[in-house]
Amino acid sequence: MHYLVDRFQPAERRLIVVAALVLVPIFFFPVLPIWAMKLWAPQYREGLTLTIYSNAIRGDLQSINTLNHYVGMKHITPEDFREFTYLPQALTLFGVAALVAALVNRRWVAILGWILFTVFSAYMFFDYARWLYDYGHNLDPRAPIKLPLFTPPLIGFKQMANFKVLSIPMPGTLLLGIAWLLGPIAIVLEMRDAKKARG
Amino acid sequence: MKPKLVLVFAGLAALALASQLPGCAGVRGGGAGSAAEKVYVKPGEHDAYYAFLSGGHSGQVYVYGIPSCRHITTIPVFTPEPAVGYGVDEQTKAMLGGFTWGDAHHPGMSETNGDYDGRWLFINDMPNARIARIDLKDFKTKEIFGPIPNLSAAHACPFPTPNTEYVFAASRFSVPVPNREVKIEDYAKEFRGVVAGVKVDPKTGHMSMGFEILMPPFDWDLADAGKGPSHGWEFFTCYNSEEAHDSLEIKASQAEMDYIAAVDWRAAQKAVDDGKAKTVGGVPMLDPQQVPGLVYLFPVPKSPHGVDVDPSGQYVCASGKLQAEVTVYNFAKIQSAIAAKRFDGDQLGIPVLKFEDVMEAKVPVGLGPLHTQFDGKGYAYTSLFLDSQIAKWKIGPPWNVVDKIDVYYSIGHLMASEGDTRHPTGEYVVALDKLSKDRYLDVGPTKPEAAQLIDIRGPKMELLYDFPTYLEPHYAQMIRAEKLKPIDVYPLAENANPAAVKRAEDARVERKGTRVDVYMVAVRSHFTPDVVHVNQGDDVYFHVTNVEQDNDIAHGFGMLWSSDNMQIEPGETKTMHWKAEKAGVEPFYCSNFCSALHQEMQGYVVVGARGARVAAVQRPDPARVAEVAQLMAHR
Repeated sequence: MHYLVDRFQPAERRLIVVAALVLVPIFFFPVLPIWAMKLWAPQYREGLTLTIYSNAIRGDLQSINTLNHYVGMKHITPEDFREFTYLPQALTLFGVAALVAALVNRRWVAILGWILFTVFSAYMFFDYARWLYDYGHNLDPRAPIKLPLFTPPLIGFKQMANFKVLSIPMPGTLLLGIAWLLGPIAIVLEMRDAKKARG
Repeated sequence: MKPKLVLVFAGLAALALASQLPGCAGVRGGGAGSAAEKVYVKPGEHDAYYAFLSGGHSGQVYVYGIPSCRHITTIPVFTPEPAVGYGVDEQTKAMLGGFTWGDAHHPGMSETNGDYDGRWLFINDMPNARIARIDLKDFKTKEIFGPIPNLSAAHACPFPTPNTEYVFAASRFSVPVPNREVKIEDYAKEFRGVVAGVKVDPKTGHMSMGFEILMPPFDWDLADAGKGPSHGWEFFTCYNSEEAHDSLEIKASQAEMDYIAAVDWRAAQKAVDDGKAKTVGGVPMLDPQQVPGLVYLFPVPKSPHGVDVDPSGQYVCASGKLQAEVTVYNFAKIQSAIAAKRFDGDQLGIPVLKFEDVMEAKVPVGLGPLHTQFDGKGYAYTSLFLDSQIAKWKIGPPWNVVDKIDVYYSIGHLMASEGDTRHPTGEYVVALDKLSKDRYLDVGPTKPEAAQLIDIRGPKMELLYDFPTYLEPHYAQMIRAEKLKPIDVYPLAENANPAAVKRAEDARVERKGTRVDVYMVAVRSHFTPDVVHVNQGDDVYFHVTNVEQDNDIAHGFGMLWSSDNMQIEPGETKTMHWKAEKAGVEPFYCSNFCSALHQEMQGYVVVGARGARVAAVQRPDPARVAEVAQLMAHR
């Protein structure tokens, strides 16, 4: 139990601060996209793009919606996503939690923050999958072109009618991953140092 | 740890940047090797140059890619083009001013510091003395200036100055000024030529009248702007200094010498600003007999056609078409003769300089020299109408011809890549021939015109390609492709047309008396509203807004049993008038193939009996609007 209430080693303490800083471009200034979807068709060789930020969805929304109405897909409207209203704040919270952990120098704060962060990220990933499923399964029966129900790719390539669709994580997600990885790295480094000190 | 982190960040930044890059537009064509390889531009790749060829008496401008010589598009300018509704929709109909014909001769690219800046293309309508301005952001004719008062046929036109301060026009056929009935035998006394300087707004390109100068009744032919040391001057050739009014073929070819007029356009504008002009036909006219110091003449052998200023701006090259020489004048000599007032009499108040005072060299190019272009490497290229050749000659001693090449047949103008600027690129020349005869598959008596692409990168000219054009390129301009950055769509947010409707909720039909305004939205693949009720005898104005913002998704709007059709580009609003002639049901449809359900993009106008009761405002079915509104909720 004393492990959890212990203080950090200086090196690990710095790592926790780094983890907080790494999140800055995603939540504080949402300049880095989290996820992107690219759609190519024979007549869209340059591709159409949807880019998802922690607070917005941008790109060729209008063109994609105009095309989607042929298959009766629900229109992608930024206002539909409640996620954009809490995602930046939630990420901010995790950043602050990491900073607090480094400040108060208590290991349990960091571990608790990390666990919540993990659960939250998994939930968001599930949430994204749910949206994709919803768009592909909630088709207007009156649509001029009838497609079998589908789910756009969560990650990777998929051929959908005349469109090739690529769904990939963007730099924002990589930063999230780095921030997340810094948790276990800190623990591993600490355990190694502790072992050295014992030995 | 830290350096690695920095690396990770740099990598992420690069990734983020790369993801924002648009699709790359392929390598420019024109490789090395055989002639075939040099003109081959692979499918999907782009040409290195845009060429703008005047459409002559078709009244249009043709756009070609060079070196592939592919016809890319035709820009309607002086002639209606019902396919896109040019001259059909209310705005372009007003711009054409009732004319349905023009004879477009000389495209002139706008310039900054004597080089093409790729902003606008000006072109003349010779017979109706008009100048059009095409915006190269969207390749659309934006303005037609004229008919220019007092001017009779604008042939020496527009030939812009080095910063597009002015475009010019000069009478090809002198007439009485102001025009009135006179005895034709009184030609010398009553007829006059006119040189017009038309101001171009440096920001908007808008044209306005600067000045006119009363000239002797010669036939003013071609022009070019001075540059570098000769900046501030515009040069005009003439024939018929004999002042014949009939049988010009013989009578206008008698004199050994005709003239070039050198016009000091800054002095002319200052004279107008100082109030020295008289108002004739509503424009300020300067008479050199009363206002000296604006124009000088110097002799040119034998009915010259082209007058072309070399890239340095020092030499003025005239092609006497009934002579086997290009005569080169030195601008420094012209200036010192003017300064020393060494004149040999005058023509209606315009001092005449002595030939031997201003002439620098005579270059024996061959028979029928018409027009000269430059490569920026010290050589000039002159078209030879009678010899059906191009002569390449050295600018400067020994002023000799270094190469000749055959063209097919009877070349008029020629065009070198950026060949009339201060910095020609010296890559290509295109011969613009008057006769094609046997060069292409035979299509009967009306032959196409012919053009040849010639490589001028090496010491010898090399014929690369031979291609037909529709009637009838006189002159052309060739500009490096990267200088033009055309738009793909008109931003809907910037559409300020008062008749625009950007949302289906706002689509409606309003009537006032017998005028009906239909505010309509077009998007793949429907119109809103798609049923409109009017009465027989109504004047119906369709204001159609294409709310698409996707590349190349234009919609058409065509009425059956009519000549009324137009094309609306993404983000654009156009207005078309249609008269409800008879009771019944008249279908309309999208005439420009737009999408998989293009065939379904149609609607009906229900025409009731004259004077029947129709709602003052019709709105489309709310359920339908809600459906469409949802589609369009994202802008």
